[in-house]
Amino acid sequence: MTSPLAPRRLSVSRRALLGGMAGSVLLRVGLSSAQAQSADPAADPDAVIRIGSLYEPQNLDNAAGAGQGVSEAFNDNVYEGLFRLTDAGSVEPVLAESHEVSEDGLTHLFTLRPGVRFHSGGALTSADVKHSIERVTAEASRSSRKRSLSTIAAIETPDELTVKITLSRRSISLPYNLSYVWIVNHEAKDLTSTADGTGPYRLADWRRGSALALDLFADYWGERPANGGAVFHYFTEAAALDNALLTDAVDLVSSVQSPDALAQFEGDPRFTIAEGLSTTKQLLAWNDRIAPFDDVRVRSALAKAVDKDRLRQAIWGDRGIVLGSFTPPTDPWFVDLTAVNAHDPEGARALLAEAGHAEGLRFTIDTPNYDPHPITAEFLKAEYAKVGVTVDINLITANEWYTKIYQQKNFQATLQEHVNHRDIVFYGDPDFYWGYDDPEVIRLIADAEASATEEEQTEKLRQANILIAEGAATNWFYLNPQIVVSKVGVSGYPVNGLNAQFFLRGVAKA
Amino acid sequence: MTRYLLRRSFVLALSLIAAGLALFVLLRLLPGDPAAALLGVGATEAQIAAARAQIGSDLPIPAQFARFMTDLARFDLGESFVTQAPVLPEIGRRLQVTLPLTLAAFLLAILVATPLGILAALWAGDWRGTLLSGFSQLGLAVPVFWIGILLVWVLAVNLRLLPASGFPMRGWEDPAGSFRALILPVLTIALVMSASLMRYVRSAALDVLGSDYLRNARALGASLPEAIRRHALRNGALPVISVLGIELATTLLGAVVVERVFALPGLGSMLLLAIQQRDYPSVQGVLLVSTLMVLLIGFAADVLQRLIDPRLRERGRRPGE
Amino acid sequence: MKRLTLRLGLLLVGFNLAVGLLTFFWTPHDPGAMIGGRLSPPSWTHWAGTDRLGRDFLSQVMVGARIALLVGAGATLLGGAVGISLGVLAAYARRGLDDAFAAALDILIAFPTLLLAMLVVAASETASLGTAILAIGLAMSAIIARLARILTKRVLAQDYVTAARCSGLSWARLTRTHVLPNILPTLAVALAAQFGLAVIAEASLSYLGLGAPPPNASWGTLLQQAQSTVHRAPIGVILPGLALVSLVLGINFLADGLRDLLDPEREGAE
Repeated sequence: MTSPLAPRRLSVSRRALLGGMAGSVLLRVGLSSAQAQSADPAADPDAVIRIGSLYEPQNLDNAAGAGQGVSEAFNDNVYEGLFRLTDAGSVEPVLAESHEVSEDGLTHLFTLRPGVRFHSGGALTSADVKHSIERVTAEASRSSRKRSLSTIAAIETPDELTVKITLSRRSISLPYNLSYVWIVNHEAKDLTSTADGTGPYRLADWRRGSALALDLFADYWGERPANGGAVFHYFTEAAALDNALLTDAVDLVSSVQSPDALAQFEGDPRFTIAEGLSTTKQLLAWNDRIAPFDDVRVRSALAKAVDKDRLRQAIWGDRGIVLGSFTPPTDPWFVDLTAVNAHDPEGARALLAEAGHAEGLRFTIDTPNYDPHPITAEFLKAEYAKVGVTVDINLITANEWYTKIYQQKNFQATLQEHVNHRDIVFYGDPDFYWGYDDPEVIRLIADAEASATEEEQTEKLRQANILIAEGAATNWFYLNPQIVVSKVGVSGYPVNGLNAQFFLRGVAKA
Repeated sequence: MTRYLLRRSFVLALSLIAAGLALFVLLRLLPGDPAAALLGVGATEAQIAAARAQIGSDLPIPAQFARFMTDLARFDLGESFVTQAPVLPEIGRRLQVTLPLTLAAFLLAILVATPLGILAALWAGDWRGTLLSGFSQLGLAVPVFWIGILLVWVLAVNLRLLPASGFPMRGWEDPAGSFRALILPVLTIALVMSASLMRYVRSAALDVLGSDYLRNARALGASLPEAIRRHALRNGALPVISVLGIELATTLLGAVVVERVFALPGLGSMLLLAIQQRDYPSVQGVLLVSTLMVLLIGFAADVLQRLIDPRLRERGRRPGE
Repeated sequence: MKRLTLRLGLLLVGFNLAVGLLTFFWTPHDPGAMIGGRLSPPSWTHWAGTDRLGRDFLSQVMVGARIALLVGAGATLLGGAVGISLGVLAAYARRGLDDAFAAALDILIAFPTLLLAMLVVAASETASLGTAILAIGLAMSAIIARLARILTKRVLAQDYVTAARCSGLSWARLTRTHVLPNILPTLAVALAAQFGLAVIAEASLSYLGLGAPPPNASWGTLLQQAQSTVHRAPIGVILPGLALVSLVLGINFLADGLRDLLDPEREGAE
C-alpha cells in the first residue's frame, strides 16, 4: 500500500464550493473539533507535536499550486482567513468580527478584528484583506479557488478595519469560499518559500523532502495554543510513515492510508486510533463528452458491473462507506443513492447490448501511479471483463494527470480521489475535466448558489444530486475513512480533516 | 607525475563539457513542454508563451545550449519549476544525507570485504572458502531493496531496535538522531556491496598468492601473514582500487532505491521526485552534480593507482588498454 | 566443484524457466481472478495466501517469473547486440575517435544501470514491458561495448591478425573469421552476468514504480505492494524476494560455470 512517488493526493480544483454560513450542518463526529476539546491537564504546554504526513507541500503558497500539504500545515495554523471551515463542517468567523449583507445579497460589509498582528510585526488592515483576495483571483493565480470567487466585482476599503465586497450576482457561499483565502501581509514577498500570516504559529524552518517546523507566534491575538509548536515530517511511503510512528519518530499520523497498517496499532496500548469522516471520494470518471460515455446506458451498465462493496473491502477492509453519488453523508444534500445502478452484472450486459455494444467494448483507464489507484484499476479490469468489456490500464504520474486529463481533457476514463468538501458543484460546470453536461443539473446548481436561504440551496442541490446519480455521470465507489493514529497522551486533534486541514492549536501532548 | 596530473585534469575538464552536452541533449528528449510543466493546471496560451520566454525554451537550440553552458560556468543550476527555489542549495542539503550514507557504507564494506576476501582466497578449496564464496554469491543475487525491507521488518518494526525510516528535521545538528537514522540504510548497502567487493578482493588475493614474489618472500623466511602485509596488500590493492572507484560511484548514484526504502531525503529521492514531476532544472542539476562526482572519483582512483604503482608511472596508458 | 556450480545454475534457471513457461498453460488459480478473501493466510486452496484483492498469490509470483525472464533476456539480447556492434566498430576506428568513444563509455559505465534506465523510462510517454527492456538493454550496452572494444583491440593486436589485415582481408571478413570467434566466449560470460543484473534492475524499476503497468505483476511490484502489509502477510515480501534471488543466483552460477568451462585457467577471477 505504498503510495509511490509524488504521492500527492490530488485535491481537485477547489472551485465553486457551496455552503455558506451554513451553521446548519454541525456534525459532531468522533472527538469533535479540536477547538471544542479541552486539553489534558497533564499536558505539557511547551511540547512540540511531531506529525507524520504523506503530503509535503510543493511550495508554501496556496495561490501557486502548492497542493494539499500546505493546507494541512498552514490553514488556521500559520494563516487565518476571514472565516474558518471547522473540522465539524461549519463556517465560523475568525478575522472578521462582523459581517453584514445587503438586502439584495450583493453587498457584503466585513469589520476586521482589531489588534491583530502579522508575524513580521505589522498590524492587520483592510488593505491586507483586499490584497489577499485579489492575490487569489488574479490572472496569474494558480489557486483553484479562483473561479469560485469570480462573482466578486469590487473590493473597497473604506477604512483601516472595514472591507466592502460587491458581488456581480448573489452568492450564498461567499463566507464559505472566503474560508479558503489566507490573509497574508500585503508587503510580504516570496510566499512560495516564506510565510507571513496572523496565525498562532510561525514558519520556523522548511527542509524540503524532510520536514516543516512551526513555532509559536508570541504576539498572537487569540488564545495561546495547547502546545509549544509542531513539526510535520514528510514521507513518500505509507509504510515508512507508519514505521515512524511505531518507532516513536512522530507523535501522530494525520491520515492512515491502509487498514493493514492499522493492524500494527490496534490492540497496542501505546496508540490511540480515531476514526472520522473524510471527504475523500474514490471514483472512476468518464469523459462524458465522447462516445461511448456520452450514452447514459453505457455509463449505467458500467456502474452496474462493479461490485463496489467488494472494492471497498479490498482497499479498506471493514472501513469506508460505499457511495451512490458524489456526496458524502456530511453534505447537507446527501441522499442515499446506492440503490441506483446497484451491482448487477446481468443488467449491465443487457444495457450494453441495448446500447449496441453486445459484442463488447474496449477503453483505457488513465491511472495515477500511486496507491490505491493501480490495484483499483486491476480490480476494475477484472470486473469489467465479466461483462465483456476490455480495459487497458495506463499508469501516469500526478503531474501527467494534471496536464493530460485536467487540462487537456484527453482521456476516456480516469481514476481519481476527490478530497474536496461540498464539491457536487463540479457537475454544474460543463468545462470541468469530466465534461458532464446536463442542462437541468447546471441550472439547479447555479440557482442553488443564488439562493436566499440555506433550505432552498439544500433542496436544489439534493435534486441535482439525484439527477447525477440517475445519469450515472461518474462511477463513484467509496468514501475513505479518515483515520488518525496517535501515541497515547496526545489529544485534541481534528479527526475529520475536512479539505485536508489539520488544526494544531488544540493538540496537547502529555 | 605533474605532467600526468595536468593531462588527466585536461581530460577531466573535457569529460565535463561532454557530459554537459550529453545532458542537454538528453533533457530535450524528455517528453512534454517544460513551460507547461512550470505552470501546471489552467495556464493560458499567453502564460505559457511568457513562461517559455522566461526559461528560454523559445530560443533556437544552439542559443539554448550557449545559455545552458554559461549558466553552468557560473555554477547556476537554475530554479526548480515546482518549488521555485534554487536547485544548487537543495542539492547541497540532499548531499548531507547521501554522502555520509554512501561513504559510511563504502568504508564498512571495505572493512568487511577485505579480510573476508583474503580469507576466502587463503581458504580456496576447503569448505570455509566455499562458505565465504557462497555468501558473496548470495549477496550479488539479492536486490538491495529487498534486504532493506527485510531489515526494517525484523530490526525496526518487530524488535524496535532502530528507527525504520526518515531523517531528523534538524539534520546533522541532531548528530545522534542522524546517526541512528543512517544505521539501517548503511547496513543494507554495506551488506550487498561487501559481497561484490569480496569477489574482487578474493581474485586479486588469489593472483598475488600465486605470484612469484610472494613465493620468494616466503622462501626468504617471511611468515605468511608478514608476506601478505608487506607485499600482497600493496600489489593486490591495484586492481581493487579501479573497481572501488566504479563501485563508489555506483553506490552514490544507486542510493536512490535505498533512500526510497528508508524515506531518506537524499539526492536519489530528489531525482526520483524530480523525474516524476517533470521538474527539469532539478533533474538536470542532480545529474550534473552526480556526473561531476563520478568523474572526480574516477580521477582520484586513477591518481591513487599511479601513486601506488611505480610501474604505471612510467607507462603512458592505463592498464587494460 | 566447477561442475557443481554449473549444475546448480542450470537447475535454478531451469526451474524458473519451467515455472515461467508453465504459467502460459497452467497456474494454481487464474492470477487475475478475485476468488479468495482479503489477504488470507496460506491454506490448502491458496498455498501462499491471497493478496488484497483476493487473488491467489502463488499464481502471481509464478507469472512474475515469466516477466523477469522476458525482460532479462530481452534486455540482454538488446544490450548484447548494440554493445558488441558498437564496441567492435570502435575498435576499428581511428585513434582519436576510438579514444573519445572509450572516454564516453567510461563515464557512462560509472552510472549504474538503474539510473540510466530511470532516465530512459522518464523519456518515454508511457511505461510498458518494452520500455523496461529498452531502458535496461541500452544501459547494459555501454558495459558490453566497453568490453567488446577492449577484446577486439586485443585480437587485432595479434600478429596473425595483423598479417591477415596486411594481406588485404576485408574488415567484415576479418570480423567474422577472427574477431568474433575470439571475443564471443568472454562476452558470453559477461552477458550471462549482465542477465542477472538486468533481472535485478527490472525488479528495482518496478519497485520504484517505473516498471511495466498492471496487470504485469513483476516481482518488484509485488514486493512494493506487500511492503505495507508485511505485518499481516509477511509471505508477501518473502516469496517474491526468494523467487528473485533464486533466479539471479542461478544465472550467476551459470555465468561462473560457463567461464570455468571456457577459461579453466582463470578460476574465480573477476
